[in-house]
Formats: sequence, C-alpha cells, structure tokens
Amino acid sequence: MINQYAGIAPKGDLLLLRKLSEKLAGRSFLHINSTRSGGGVAEILNRMIPFLKGIGIDARWEVIEGDSKFFDITKKIHNALQGNPEKITPEMWGYHFETNRRYAERLGLQADALFIHDPQPFPLVEFRKNGKWIWRCHIDLSNPQKDVCDYLTKYCRKYDSAIFSVARFARALGTDEFIIPPSIDPLSEKNRELTDQEVSGVLARFNLPADRPAILQVSRFDRFKDPVGLINAFRMVRKYNDSILIIAGSPATDDPEGEMVLNEVKEFAAGDPDIYILLLPPFSDRDINALQRAATVVLQKSLKEGFGLTVSEAMWKGKPVIGGAVGGIPLQIIHGVTGFLVHSIEGAAFRIRQVLNNPELARGMGERGREYVRTNFLITKQIRDYLAVWYSLENKGRGILEL
Amino acid sequence: MGEGIKPFEFRQCTGIIKSTGMKARNLLELRDMIAKISDDSLFHHTCQYFLKGHILEYTNDFAQWAGESLEERALAEHLSNVDSYEFGEIDDLRLELLRVINGYVSVFPEPREAISGNEFYFNEAVTFIFSAGVRARNLAEFLIALKYIDSSSIYYHFYEARVRLGDGTDDFSRWVEEALRKRELAERIRAIDLFIYSLEGIRERIIKVIEEELRDEMEFRGGE
Repeated sequence: MINQYAGIAPKGDLLLLRKLSEKLAGRSFLHINSTRSGGGVAEILNRMIPFLKGIGIDARWEVIEGDSKFFDITKKIHNALQGNPEKITPEMWGYHFETNRRYAERLGLQADALFIHDPQPFPLVEFRKNGKWIWRCHIDLSNPQKDVCDYLTKYCRKYDSAIFSVARFARALGTDEFIIPPSIDPLSEKNRELTDQEVSGVLARFNLPADRPAILQVSRFDRFKDPVGLINAFRMVRKYNDSILIIAGSPATDDPEGEMVLNEVKEFAAGDPDIYILLLPPFSDRDINALQRAATVVLQKSLKEGFGLTVSEAMWKGKPVIGGAVGGIPLQIIHGVTGFLVHSIEGAAFRIRQVLNNPELARGMGERGREYVRTNFLITKQIRDYLAVWYSLENKGRGILEL
Repeated sequence: MGEGIKPFEFRQCTGIIKSTGMKARNLLELRDMIAKISDDSLFHHTCQYFLKGHILEYTNDFAQWAGESLEERALAEHLSNVDSYEFGEIDDLRLELLRVINGYVSVFPEPREAISGNEFYFNEAVTFIFSAGVRARNLAEFLIALKYIDSSSIYYHFYEARVRLGDGTDDFSRWVEEALRKRELAERIRAIDLFIYSLEGIRERIIKVIEEELRDEMEFRGGE
C-alpha cells in the first residue's frame, strides 16, 4: 500500500508511516462519523480506511444514520459552533444524546483507538469502554456560540484527546489537543492524472464551452461558501474578461439546508447563460477532477471554512487558487505565492482578473501550490499523524519518542 | 579509508503539533506568555522553527509573528538576531527574548493588536526520532547520502544536535572531525550560517564543501 505513494509523497512521511504501522499492526482503529457520502470527512475516510487496512491495522468505519430531525439539530449545532446564532433547546440536546445512545448499543464501541468525527456522534464518549478516544473536529471553532461550546467542553473532557485542523480552532477544552490538517489522496479518482480526452469528455457531457477561461468553485451548496458573493464577483470580472463561471457541488445527507441554498443560487443566476450550476450526484469524483483540470482559476470564496479540501485539490492540479482568508484556507494559500487570499467580493473579482490576465503568474502559483500540497497535505502525512497521535497517547507524558 | 571508522548513522525526526490553548493578541501579551509558557513550547517556536521547512522571512515564530501580524518589523529583526541555539538552558533563551521585547517596548510602548484570527498561538510538539536506514562509512558515501536523505535528517543532525550535544556543534562536523579526522572540513561545515538558509539550502551548502574537499583529494592523489 505504502509503495504506491513512493515517488509522490515525501520519503520521510512514508518511512515514519512504516515505523508506526509496525508498532500498531493488528490493533483495532474505529472511525465514526455521520455520513458515508458528501463532504470532506466521508471522502477522506473512504480512502483512509482501505489504506489503514493495507498497512496491517484493523480499521473499521461506522456511521450514525440519524433521521432528518437529528440532522436538523446537528446542523444547528454545527452552525452555532461556526459562529452563527442558533437556539438549541434542552429537548434538542436530549434528542441528540438519545440518538447517540441508540447507536452506542448498535455500533460496538470496542477498539484500541476511536476517532469520533465532528459533533454529530460526539456524545458517544459517554458510552466509552476501552481504547483511546479522540475527537476529530473538522469545523471552524474559532468563534463559537458560547453555550453550545460549553456543552462541547463538557463532553470533551471525557476524551483522551481532540484534533483540530488549524491552531486557531483549538480551544482549552480540557484535554490534549493536536493540530493536524486534513489531506487529499493523489491516487484517488478525484485527484489522479486525467487525459485531455477525459477532461474534454466531461466538459462536453455538461455542455460546458471549452473555448473561454473557466472560473470554478466546487463546494456544497452552503451559505458559508458564499455562492451568491461568487456570482457577484464574476459579474464584476466579466466587464473586463470574457469568461464563464462554474459552480459545482454535491448534496450531503447530513446537510438539510443544501437544497434551499441551491434554489437561492439558481434564482440569483437565472437568465445568465455564462453561469453554469451543476448539481453533481455523490461520488462524482472523476467529473470534479476534470472540472478542476479544465478550470483557468479556482475559487473557494468561503466566509467560514473548516479547512476547504477543494483548495488543496485544485493546487495539486497546478491551478492558481483564490480563497477567502478564513478558517483553514490561509494554511493552504500563502498569499501571493501559492494563490491569493481575499476578504471581499471586490477582492475576489480583482484577483480573478489578475490571474486571468497574467498566465505566467498563474503558472508559477500553480507549480508552487502543487509542491506545497505535496509536502503538507497528502493523505500519507495525515495517516502518519493520526497514528502518531494514537501512539503518543499510549506513551503519554513523553515529548520525545524514539521508534 | 573505511576500515575502523565509526559509520555515520542517519536519523530523522518529525513532530506532531500540540496546542497549549494559549494565545497572544499583542506584544505585551506575547511577552507575558513567553515568560510563563513551557520549555517545550519555547523550544518549538524557536529551535524547532526550521523543521517546518517553510521559507519564511525571519528566524523564529515570534519574530515572524511580530513582523507579519503586528507589522513591528524592527522588533522582528531584533528577534531574528537571537541565536536560539547558543543557550545552554532554555530559560536563558527565554530571558534573552524577554530582554529584546522589553527593550523594544520601552521605546515603542503602544501595543498593536493583531487582527482577529491572526493572534499568536502557542504550540508545542511531540517529536518522533527514528533511523533513516542510511549509513555512511566514508566521505563519498556520506556525500551520496546527504543528497537524498529526507530534509528532517538535516534538521536533526545540523540543528537539533546543537541542543542535544550541548556544545554548539552539530553531528555532521563532529563525525567529520572525530571519525574522519578532517578538522578543516569540519570547521567549514560548522561555519555555515544555520539561520540564513532553508533546510534545502543547508543541504546544498554542505554538499558543496564536501564536493570541494573530495575534488581536492582526488587532484592531490592524481598529482602523486
């Protein structure tokens, strides 16, 4: 398994991965989240679980498949933790807990290490038995609603550790806290090399013109991704540059607001023949890969963002990326080096024009971006770090570990 | 050469970052935090700075933050001039950093706030050290190994060694001097400025001085 990444991932990451897999071989590693498809967490787990098995770790992935009421509540919790005002009633907290209690009986929580992803399965820790329990937070927790954060803290103390994507998301939650950014898999269908024919075939299937520069944003239909702001920026750009805008996204089973936001976006773009809104079915990985490769510039104009894997994906394809200066995006985009960070719709429009009118600038940013992703945001590094956290928790109190 | 020489065993190291949960919003808070944060955190933001491999403008995280987020560029220069490896005890480094910041604050007392999200976050690392599986028995093998080992080996042997060995030297020059008995070459390696280059830059410079040494040896032998 590791050998497939030789020549792609940094050698040092692969070597440490080998050392840690020798130490943890045969041990059980359970991941729990709330969706098998849609969004970055499911995407990473779809790739990570087979990888872990391939290096001899007994990895398992379970999902809390709650009902729509559960996901309405967890979406509100999610939004509140990302700073939106939300009212979570005691009855809602009770429903959240009760759903977790039912799943705790069903899932079998026996493992040497358990990674609980995001707030949906968070209360499972109340039913912990053996093993190291680690809460993996994928969301932007830099400015949470206080009462919801306090609730989180109550549970967090029962975990052995928490992991955040970016240092500024970490809070004093009463447990050890590690910083590990998410990653992309260079060998996945989403990121593997494609032929020119494959790319043009996808453009043709979606009736997208190939003769004009394409500005692309790939994301869920979520207000935090600012799709309306993106369209406004595009309308500013078009005064100067003949181009098209593609907004592509898939629905996620744990996001009940998606359809509503999609309709808002369609309405806002109505009648504009240069704006293409694509609702892709889950697992449209090859299509997304092709769209990213066909794009002239890729946007991630988020207003809040846990990390924004689409930024790393586009950088891996050598594209200049313009991202909102929020959440985990500044960790990926070094302003002016691997892309541009923007703070406004006007800023997005200005940087798009700069990139469209300066191919050399775009090419240089793309090259540097790809190398930056190679050394920092590939799946081999993330798995290495997850195993390192697990191993360090089993050797708690030691700041230096010799393998 | 080869018989009886203790081989050089390449090791490498890497860290996973741990948050301390503490942050500073302005220079005065940074100073107060530096006074009380753990030795591990202070080590991480100064001596371990180079392990990141980023090509940044300054020479430690405090200087980088002062320059980039507070736009206190003069202070960033002062902090960059602190040699974090020259102190036997981490508390001596701590006192030097405080002396520099206090000196600056006495001239420019107005604290400037970092914008939200750009605060200084105090972290530390759990460090993993392991064999790179590479061994050199003579200078030629050492040169080949240097060309392809992971950059974290360069950090471990050239930077971290200064703290571990405690005498301001590094593993590379020590081996060259003690095992190969090449004192002049050792001094040339030791003289490379570790604060000016990235890890890749350090690699290039060590390779250059060893290649010069080997070329001189070959030319000398050719003239015999």
